[in-house]
Amino acid sequence: MSVIIHPRPSPVAAAMYTLRDLDADTIVLHGPSGCCFRPARLLERDGVRVVTSALLEDDLVFGSEGKLSKVLKRVDEMFSPRLIGLVGSCASMIIGEDLKKAARDAGLLNKTICCNVHGGSGDNTVGAIAVLREAREMGLISDEEFNRQRFMLERATRLERERGTARSEYIENWPGDRPKEIAKKLIETFASGGEVAFVLNAKKETSFLYADLALALASARRRFGGSLRVLANLDPKVGLPRVRSYSVKILEEFEAEGVVVDSITGGIDEYPISGERAKELLVRDPPDLAVISGIPHAVAVEGVMKTVAVSVGSRAVSNLKSLGYDYVVAERDAHQVSLGEKKQIRRSILGQALREEAAH
Amino acid sequence: MKSVAFYGKGGIGKSTLASNIAAALGADGLKILLVGCDPKADSTINLLGRRPPQLLELMKQEKRPDPSKFIEEGFAGVACVEIGGPEPGVGCAGRGLIVGIRYLTEVFDIRRFDLVIFDVPADIVCGGLAVVMKEGYSESALIVTSDEFMSLYAANNLCRGFRSLGARVGGVLYNRSTTGGRRYVGRFSSRVGVPILGDVPLSEELIRADRARKTIIESSPASNLSGIISSVAKSVYLNSFSCVPNWIQIEELEEMCAGDS
Repeated sequence: MSVIIHPRPSPVAAAMYTLRDLDADTIVLHGPSGCCFRPARLLERDGVRVVTSALLEDDLVFGSEGKLSKVLKRVDEMFSPRLIGLVGSCASMIIGEDLKKAARDAGLLNKTICCNVHGGSGDNTVGAIAVLREAREMGLISDEEFNRQRFMLERATRLERERGTARSEYIENWPGDRPKEIAKKLIETFASGGEVAFVLNAKKETSFLYADLALALASARRRFGGSLRVLANLDPKVGLPRVRSYSVKILEEFEAEGVVVDSITGGIDEYPISGERAKELLVRDPPDLAVISGIPHAVAVEGVMKTVAVSVGSRAVSNLKSLGYDYVVAERDAHQVSLGEKKQIRRSILGQALREEAAH
Repeated sequence: MKSVAFYGKGGIGKSTLASNIAAALGADGLKILLVGCDPKADSTINLLGRRPPQLLELMKQEKRPDPSKFIEEGFAGVACVEIGGPEPGVGCAGRGLIVGIRYLTEVFDIRRFDLVIFDVPADIVCGGLAVVMKEGYSESALIVTSDEFMSLYAANNLCRGFRSLGARVGGVLYNRSTTGGRRYVGRFSSRVGVPILGDVPLSEELIRADRARKTIIESSPASNLSGIISSVAKSVYLNSFSCVPNWIQIEELEEMCAGDS
């Protein structure tokens, strides 16, 4: 059995992000105060209150459902949330804590989505699916939406295992190719009258970072000539209301900046299958250079045409290079950059490199 | 200092034997510490006549309680400690045992005793319940069993666990012995390579003493049973044997116990 030994995303964090997508006002993590600290802080920037039950050694030994009930009541008094997300942690789940009992005892079960996951529950998507299943049971989402999202999450898991950072026992970190060099190649392609295809195949709010390259490419094309084709997973009719609004916002900014989207490849939470649609379109009519931003390994065109893959994380870019993408750029931390109550396209590293190179 | 940990199937009589053996050795003038490791906190009741304060409860209240608050002297001068733990169905007894034993040995020098007895709950069902052996608080384990199949099954499972941990076993204590049953325990003992240190017959007298929350050593010191237990206690204290045990495949154990069924 091959074990993946490099750090991997957590089901607990995925559950919390999904609760945010369902518009939970407050998330209570039933665990020690430091559990999932970083995702918790990022979600707070997105307007979600995140608290913990601050478990200590005594709570682990004696159980802490009573303490959790008190925390839930306190949260209700302090913040009057419309919807509470309650997530487990390694510590609380291993000792068998009953989240629903605690919510029931607090008199808040009818507005609390309880999610029994911990860090060892498996792939991170397990956490997201657990939240969605509970949301369906509570009537917050339809069977149809649940089945669509579960299908996408299972496809995402398969993609990670086949082509993502879950495909190898250990992946070395690598900083990526120099953005300035890639920017030069993009300008050369435009200047020689060639076609650049830009594929936005990103996940939810991270699109606010990855979409920036479309603005920079459109500007460069206007200056240097050539042609630009834009394919994007920004179908505004797909997904939960919150994530649909992201597509709407990005499309509005594209329009304002003169970016024309030639093909909508799917919804903003559909990157595993929108990547396949993008691949079909690219292979049917190959550009001189394909720039794939977000989750490039879902768009398997490496070796078929010249490619630039743009993603986040030194391990992810290392993986993309080893898959065979010609050039790979490591972007800024997409969650760090794109989370925040004011959603708008954020400047990316490659987008900025292209603007600077074009200005010379 | 010598140290032993009593393991065996739930309800097999570990606490009754542990407290009686502690009482017998205490009455002989040895300095004995009995550490109850069960969340029920019932190992030392027969020495104290009541349940003492539990270490983990005190730690919950005041973090670092003084040993004088959780170590009490029982019958025959036996020092008694109950680690305690959560109510049934909540929390984690294993984690509690880890926390309690570490604290006890940090703040209290157990080496001052001639013998320390750890009375550990049930089977090794998790890492926490194995901590007494895993972290070396006890030199060797004693396996308490009757001649019933399920008891021997649990004893065998313990041997498997101890082998996996590389922990040493000092012997088998045959409780509720019967005339016809000794051969089963004898076969088991020889097959796992661990001697029987003694046997204690099923006894109404012991049950009556238990109901009065006393050891037989205290309630009927001159009784025949008291003598038997004192002899077993000496055997436990003087025993210098210990080895990493073997264990038996379930099919073999079933065949071994089929006997006169």
